[in-house]
Amino acid sequence: MLAYIIRRTLYVIPVVIGVALVTFILFNVVGWDAATQMLGRHASKEEIAALRQQLGLTGPKFFNFTAALQGPWWRLFDSQWFHYMKQLATLDFGRSFASNQKISTLMLNGIVPSLVLAVPIFLITLVVSITIAMLAAYYRDTWIDRSIVVASVIGLSVSYLVYIMVAQQVLAYQSGWFPIWGFESAKYLILPVLVGVVSGLGSEVRFFRTVMLDEMYQDYVRTAFAKGCTQNTVLFKHVLKNAMIPVLTSVVLTIPFLYTGNLLLETFFGIPGLGYLNVEAVNSTDYPVIKATVFVGSVLYVIATVITDICYAMVDPRIKLR
Amino acid sequence: MPRVALPTFIILLVCAATAGPARATLMPSGQQPFFGTTDRIRGFDPVQASDVYTVAAISKVYEGLYEFEYLVRPYRVRPLLAESMPEISADRLTYTIHVKKGVRFADDPCFPGGKGRELTAEDFIYSWKRLADTHNRSPRYFNFEGRIVGLDEFRDKSVQQKVDYDKPIEGLRVLDRYTLQILLKAPYPQLTYVLTQAETFAVPREAAEFYGAEFLNHPVGTGPFIVADWRWHNYRIEYVRNPKYHGDTYPTQGEPGDRERGLLVDAGKPLPLLDRVTEYVIADDSTAWLKFLAGDLAMSPISRDNFGAVVTQERELTPELRARGIRLDVALQMATFYVGFNMEDPVVGPNKKLRQALACAVDLKKWVKFYNDRLLPAKGILPPNVEGYDSNAPPAYAFDLERAKRLLTEAGYPDGRDPKTGRRLTLNFDLPQANDPQERQSTDLLAHFFDAIGIELKPSYNNWPEFLKKLERKQCQMYRLGWIVPYPDAINFFDLFYGPNESPGPNESNYKNPEFDKLFEIARVMDDAPERTERFRQMEAIVVRDCPFIFLSHPLSYRLMQPWFKNYKYHDCPYPNSKFYKVDPARMNH
Amino acid sequence: MTAPVLDHVATAAAMPARDTEMAVSLWRTAWRQIRRRRLAMTCLGIIVFYAVVAVYAESVYWYYRLRQETPPYKVVHFEDRFAKPTLQHPLGTDSLGRDVLRQVIQGTRIAFEVGIYTSLIAIPIAVIFGALAGFFGRWVDDLITWVYTVFDSVPYLLFILAIAMVVGKGLFGVCLGIGLTTWVGLCRLIRGEYLKHRDRQYVLAAKSLGVGNLSIIFRHILPNVVHLVIISFSLRFPSAILTEVILSYLGVGVQGEPSWGIMISDAKIRLWQGYWYELGGATVAMFFIVLAFNLFGDALRDALDPKLRTAEAKTA
Repeated sequence: MLAYIIRRTLYVIPVVIGVALVTFILFNVVGWDAATQMLGRHASKEEIAALRQQLGLTGPKFFNFTAALQGPWWRLFDSQWFHYMKQLATLDFGRSFASNQKISTLMLNGIVPSLVLAVPIFLITLVVSITIAMLAAYYRDTWIDRSIVVASVIGLSVSYLVYIMVAQQVLAYQSGWFPIWGFESAKYLILPVLVGVVSGLGSEVRFFRTVMLDEMYQDYVRTAFAKGCTQNTVLFKHVLKNAMIPVLTSVVLTIPFLYTGNLLLETFFGIPGLGYLNVEAVNSTDYPVIKATVFVGSVLYVIATVITDICYAMVDPRIKLR
Repeated sequence: MPRVALPTFIILLVCAATAGPARATLMPSGQQPFFGTTDRIRGFDPVQASDVYTVAAISKVYEGLYEFEYLVRPYRVRPLLAESMPEISADRLTYTIHVKKGVRFADDPCFPGGKGRELTAEDFIYSWKRLADTHNRSPRYFNFEGRIVGLDEFRDKSVQQKVDYDKPIEGLRVLDRYTLQILLKAPYPQLTYVLTQAETFAVPREAAEFYGAEFLNHPVGTGPFIVADWRWHNYRIEYVRNPKYHGDTYPTQGEPGDRERGLLVDAGKPLPLLDRVTEYVIADDSTAWLKFLAGDLAMSPISRDNFGAVVTQERELTPELRARGIRLDVALQMATFYVGFNMEDPVVGPNKKLRQALACAVDLKKWVKFYNDRLLPAKGILPPNVEGYDSNAPPAYAFDLERAKRLLTEAGYPDGRDPKTGRRLTLNFDLPQANDPQERQSTDLLAHFFDAIGIELKPSYNNWPEFLKKLERKQCQMYRLGWIVPYPDAINFFDLFYGPNESPGPNESNYKNPEFDKLFEIARVMDDAPERTERFRQMEAIVVRDCPFIFLSHPLSYRLMQPWFKNYKYHDCPYPNSKFYKVDPARMNH
Repeated sequence: MTAPVLDHVATAAAMPARDTEMAVSLWRTAWRQIRRRRLAMTCLGIIVFYAVVAVYAESVYWYYRLRQETPPYKVVHFEDRFAKPTLQHPLGTDSLGRDVLRQVIQGTRIAFEVGIYTSLIAIPIAVIFGALAGFFGRWVDDLITWVYTVFDSVPYLLFILAIAMVVGKGLFGVCLGIGLTTWVGLCRLIRGEYLKHRDRQYVLAAKSLGVGNLSIIFRHILPNVVHLVIISFSLRFPSAILTEVILSYLGVGVQGEPSWGIMISDAKIRLWQGYWYELGGATVAMFFIVLAFNLFGDALRDALDPKLRTAEAKTA
């Protein structure tokens, strides 16, 4: 067991390096010239060159062969890539181009609003969709089940944007029940949470229902019914527990994405979280911010997968033997 | 688990449903609060004041030697932190300015004991050295460039090393604690205007050194407000009244008509009149509009799409809005919007007839209608409220399809087709905003105009930084832009055409005409006088003739105001004006 | 239950001289099953209808493009702005007097282009990587698993935005972005299948006959996993359309041509006045094609390989 945990955890390292490589290639190699953008139109060539040096955008991208040949051998690593690795290791994400603020501060400030929005959505959606899925399983093959299926497929075929727009128009503006935009008090969160839950229900219910039904058709369930167990017992005591494994996977894997914030909800309803930050960064071509958020998001996801796998291994002994 | 879930869910639903009317925003009772909108700002460092929103934010917290009168027209400069207007020597090269006594910086931990100290003349010298220091990467140094003795050398030295701020500069002298003197290389009549600009505002040395790179987040100024909360930069900024403000007062003079409009009710009262100003960054126009209608915001522009539903044919508010007491304010802005040609582009640059043909193809009447009459058609670079504008002169390129086609044939493109390839002439058009529906639709309209003479317009939507980069690198063929003057002097408009100002300077079209340049250099050092106005006329005539721009419009500012929002008057440099605003809290709650 | 059927097909493919009468094709069985379900057939009909509309729209686009004229959906009728629906303009006109219905039709074309191009990018990557990983195993498998774990970790929407930022906006950036972020699920499935098939008898037989590795991968095993590709395509198509809408709203989408995303974004500001034709037209058009693809994809999956319903959570 311990060996498995260690092995699994160590695997994080190459993945994180891979993610760093991807962001590096995207932003430093394929990307563009940061210094000119930051200094603006009236800068002289000397100023641009000076800033480029400060930002670490000069010099070779991966390996510095010329320096290594001339000087001490460890100058080989005097390049953009290793500079980037050092920054990541110290969690120094640099400063935003648009606002010159420290990116780590921006991210820390944005986490709270994002979580305050994302966690309720996550919990409520989970609870509601499992409930509805169980209803569908309980009443399987009746009109209740069928209408649930139809409703969930319709639900996930409507664009997220439409949910948001209609909610803001009708529930906020026209009826005045909820505030239109902002993050001043708890009241401001109700509408975005509602929209987030309703729009996500479709795909979640569909998925959970399939999982439950698959379990319901297993042999052991038939045995349980044959033994005379009631629907309730079968559903809650047997099916739910076994269905938990795929449910657990999907649930734990969405957790890291909570942090990236729901880009659309945050922008539309004015919640100053990480999603809001990201959209602003895209709008102002603020590469360092996006680079940082992509990296951090990926790392969180990787950590979550490790935790899931370890939980799996504890729950399902077959996996350890692999 | 589901057994608990369902009841919880129902309870939550019930709570949500009974949440009740939730429009009123947080407001401590008895205070004068104000809710407005802004856009993302780059921080509160005055030397980084590059866009209108940042300048507006900085102007609430910092102040300069001079500012523009709020109500008086035509615009007049008045002393703010200075005692009086500058004493100018006979050769116009020396300006002596006395700083007001008894002005204190706001309290801040950067000062010993936390108490703000008194403002001195040295503070301005320090602030201007900061502006020149390349280490601070200010985009606004150009107003001082080449003007003040010794400052450019200071700047050049700062590129190589960290400069010593204690070394004196020849052209910036401190005569005594409250008196400073500026030595110019050549006469610079616009200097007083420049001293109203945000980049010249006074910052205390203690704060800049104490906060270092974080200075842009910790403003310490002499202004009427201090920053109360800026935790989420792109969401909201909150200001509160500065308790140590030096007590500037509401103006006592105005234009004829101001008294009738109630703008002089608070004459002589100490500023600011508001206790708290909260500004939100609302990216989406329709959301901001909804918030205004719901009573959450004090003021709002009118977007093009909403115009017809808000303003009637007679340019008045609709009855429903009027019944709520909402007021409409219309004013002409000192700005011009245009389509620019890159004169260094091989297709449009050398071909004057082609440019003129395109100009004649634009139907400005339709253009104005598209924008719901919220602008005036332009026939030159100067707007009507600026001296040098000739209201009698007819537009040089009035809409005339026949003439356009004729010019096009003379330009070498009969029917809009390139005779060498036989295909339609395609022109690239760069725009600065990607996700603005209004920009998209108006570009489609322009394309429609050019389509009528057979030319295809290919738009390319960038975002603002990308767009600026393309302009700097002279990579555009045609582009769309507007010019809003930093201070209300017509000479500013002609910066757009001065040869040495080519990219990366403000002359993005890279227009070069020695005759124009000579006139510009003469006019630049003239004081405001009829001779200068005459030169303006001549310069504009040259520019119109050479057609480096298709002049589109001068915008009208349409603003809606809630009935409880008072003391608003349109100003072309409105940045510090929230100190004059007043709200009537009794009438605020709906 | 399906495995023996697959083996039959594969065996027949590997030894074409054999008598194939006994092999009941997977495809024919699947088709019969689908044909029996009315809902699935209706959805197929809807998809076909949309495809026809898209082809029509594409031909309109190219016709006017080659003739260097302005196509009718772009023609500005200034006097006729924001008209209510009439016979001439069944869905009304927009802010420049352009016909909304025509724009919705053009939006279909863009939607199909997005769906097809993203699949053309994502599917080959997924298949090639999955096949190589599953078939060769060992270090090739480790390397490819590492690559797709990395890609899988990156937050989806953010990555697409970043790619579009760097590569440039427009159709290419969007399709590249969506393509590069959605290949992992299919890759995993294909890898799993190749791992299973690698040790099957027909593969061993082919190897002993001296058939080359690449030939085995692509001529022998691939036909057995094609059903995964088809299911993936049918589920990835609607998801790409929905993503494009969001990207267009964020300003990163298709430029210059009317896409549903741009129409929805443009229509937003007029909602408070009750003018909803532009928004309604685009939303309804999008809704039906997405719904149809989702339902048909489900039916397809049930018919071809029911085990996939819960495999790897989200497949597409």
